[in-house]
Amino acid sequence: MDNDVRTMLLDQATRLLEAEVDQSRLKTLLEAPGSFDRALWEKAVELGWPAIAIPELGGGLGLDLESLTPLLQELGQRTVSLPLVSGYVTAMALLDNGVAADVVAALASGEAIAALAFGEAGDCGLMPAAKFANGKITGAKAPAAFAAVADHALVTALDGDTPGLYLVALGGAGVERDVLEVIDNARAAAGLRLAGAPATPVVTGWAAVLRTAGIAATLTAFEQVGGSERCLKISVEYAKERKVFGQPIGAFQAIKHKLADMYQEVEIGRGCAIDALESLVAGQSDFLSLACTARLGAGASYDFCARECIQTHGGIGVTWEAEPQHHYRRARSLALELGGAPFWRDLLVDGQRVLETV
Amino acid sequence: MTDTMTKPVESLSEYVDRARAWLAALEPRFGAEARKGLSVEQDLALAREYQTLKSEAGYACITLPREIGGGGGTELHKILFTQEESKYDYPTVYFGVSLGMPVPMMLRYADQETIQRLIPPSIRGELIWAQLFSEPAAGSDLAALRTRAVRDGDGWRIDGQKLWTSWAQFADYAIGVFRTDPTVAKHAGLTFFWLDMKSPGITVKEVRKLAGKTSEINEVFFDNVYVPDSQRMGEVGAGFRVAIETLMIERYSVTDENMGGPSLYDVAKFAANARINGRPALDDGQVRHALADALVERQGLRSIHRRALNAMAAGEEPGPEGSIRKLRLARRRQIIAELSLDLLGAQGIALDPEVSRAQDAAWSWIEIPGGRIAGGTDEILRNTIAEKVLGLPQDYRPDKKVPFNQIG
Repeated sequence: MDNDVRTMLLDQATRLLEAEVDQSRLKTLLEAPGSFDRALWEKAVELGWPAIAIPELGGGLGLDLESLTPLLQELGQRTVSLPLVSGYVTAMALLDNGVAADVVAALASGEAIAALAFGEAGDCGLMPAAKFANGKITGAKAPAAFAAVADHALVTALDGDTPGLYLVALGGAGVERDVLEVIDNARAAAGLRLAGAPATPVVTGWAAVLRTAGIAATLTAFEQVGGSERCLKISVEYAKERKVFGQPIGAFQAIKHKLADMYQEVEIGRGCAIDALESLVAGQSDFLSLACTARLGAGASYDFCARECIQTHGGIGVTWEAEPQHHYRRARSLALELGGAPFWRDLLVDGQRVLETV
Repeated sequence: MTDTMTKPVESLSEYVDRARAWLAALEPRFGAEARKGLSVEQDLALAREYQTLKSEAGYACITLPREIGGGGGTELHKILFTQEESKYDYPTVYFGVSLGMPVPMMLRYADQETIQRLIPPSIRGELIWAQLFSEPAAGSDLAALRTRAVRDGDGWRIDGQKLWTSWAQFADYAIGVFRTDPTVAKHAGLTFFWLDMKSPGITVKEVRKLAGKTSEINEVFFDNVYVPDSQRMGEVGAGFRVAIETLMIERYSVTDENMGGPSLYDVAKFAANARINGRPALDDGQVRHALADALVERQGLRSIHRRALNAMAAGEEPGPEGSIRKLRLARRRQIIAELSLDLLGAQGIALDPEVSRAQDAAWSWIEIPGGRIAGGTDEILRNTIAEKVLGLPQDYRPDKKVPFNQIG
């Protein structure tokens, strides 16, 4: 049953994206800060994508996460940017903690868009400096994907010394969005200046923050795997076609071995993403460790593949017109949005945890 | 038949439980402690005892028929048993080649009388087979081999030299590929035989490796060695194809995730006790970065392995991604061993003959270069991925269609 639904969703997605998304549309989005493909999002909403994995009691379709991840992988391949991960993660955080049922329903129906505003300048990780007190948050959040267009943000802040997650209505008082030029303007990113912005507490504690970030990282890993796959695919195609010194560049070991290395990275990243997802779905205690390996494995894979995709393409790879630039931008952007690799490595190699899990 | 009707079919987890119990009971006899201080000859004698017990219990050559001493099981049974067995330091290494390739190839090509006479004792470990492939001028490029077999009445006369032949010093028999026609292109002039390693004219000379004083690899010299034509495997001129068939026997090979070196668990424990300028090494960013990289890679490889087993259990072929395993693990063991030695500082240069090689950074480091060569060099494995998985063009091979005796 679920398999049929998965196939149907993926077919639908492929058809829609095939019909709607082309290089010039993607490039238009890169031109201006805070770009969002509103028209595509409306079509995705019509098809029910935001509702896929949200439980029925929250107004969703109640399908399993394995129905959502192939779609994320497909988006990743095409560097399409839709707020599916941020919507799901926010809705689940609210639902699990019995907060703001109306917002959950709006996210499931696609009426509302959510952003995950976890990062701040001054620390590459996720420990916030923004303060929550008396129902209000004050602080500055680093540019967050979809914050330029979102109705709500899931925000990290400290209550006293305790970090937690809070729901902030971005259209409300005390919120200013800084829409600025970023590496990947198609991410609809904006920084948030919160000056006594009304905030609803969702959950407190570092563990809860990490778990929510881990879920976002795991799902994002599938977008990263999709992007890596696409970089490998177009690099292989180009290497077979492009000739120098009388033969295809793909006949030279310097290029063959580079592509073989990309293949390895894709498969390591995919393996890490699959294992983290299975652990999440099965409710295993090793989930956070596996979320770290998914975050690091898929992130490194996409960065590597995007970088070497340009290199394989040579001069054409550094032009605005060619496809590799979208991946180069997207790979880095996805690798940074939920906190930098040094933070996730630290989390993974926490001495105690390593000794427990190896 | 009555067996299958009366006994309920054993599940895979029951199979693993049974294998675990069987293996655990043998530790006092065959484990690392029992093997400590044995000479190679003594260890080999112990290995033969262990192998005979495996054959009796159905754990030797698990995919081969029970009637000849195999296990009558599936590829999956074999992988699951091997995983359990590799948790112990049992003496299995002498039979890796013998039972891995030559014995299954003999089952495919030899006559019934020969099979009945030679294969059951081979599976019990009484006889050992070698594989005569590589030569001084033919490693990755196997078809460049020069050792020739020339017609002589009802048989052939072999002259030349093989190299890197594992366990030839103990081998009773061997399979091998030789050049029977130097006037045709290099892949077309080869023929495959099995032969008696005690034949007159064969000299085996151990090759000392960079690590250690004992070695499994040898040079094998052939001086007018007679092989009857009845011991030919496949058609005259089909030797390259049969050689490739030999290398393809194991459709999914299990490589221990530590490649015989210390586990990441051991390395993390070690780093927790090592110090850098008085601070715990495990708190150091460089060390954490290296460990994180290794943990990520291990997770990806574990996932690939787990999915391959699931595919086989479902009767499907595992994906090609399994082919990256050996390539990644050998290089990783080298990186991790270098890191561990760095953390020891000056003390790291000590090479203690008494310590277990599976536990020690220096031994792990000094032994691993061979791991990046044997079973396909890193470079050949990348080529294979590029050509077979990604469909990229073959390398430029100027000698491919030239008669062998005209290659410059």
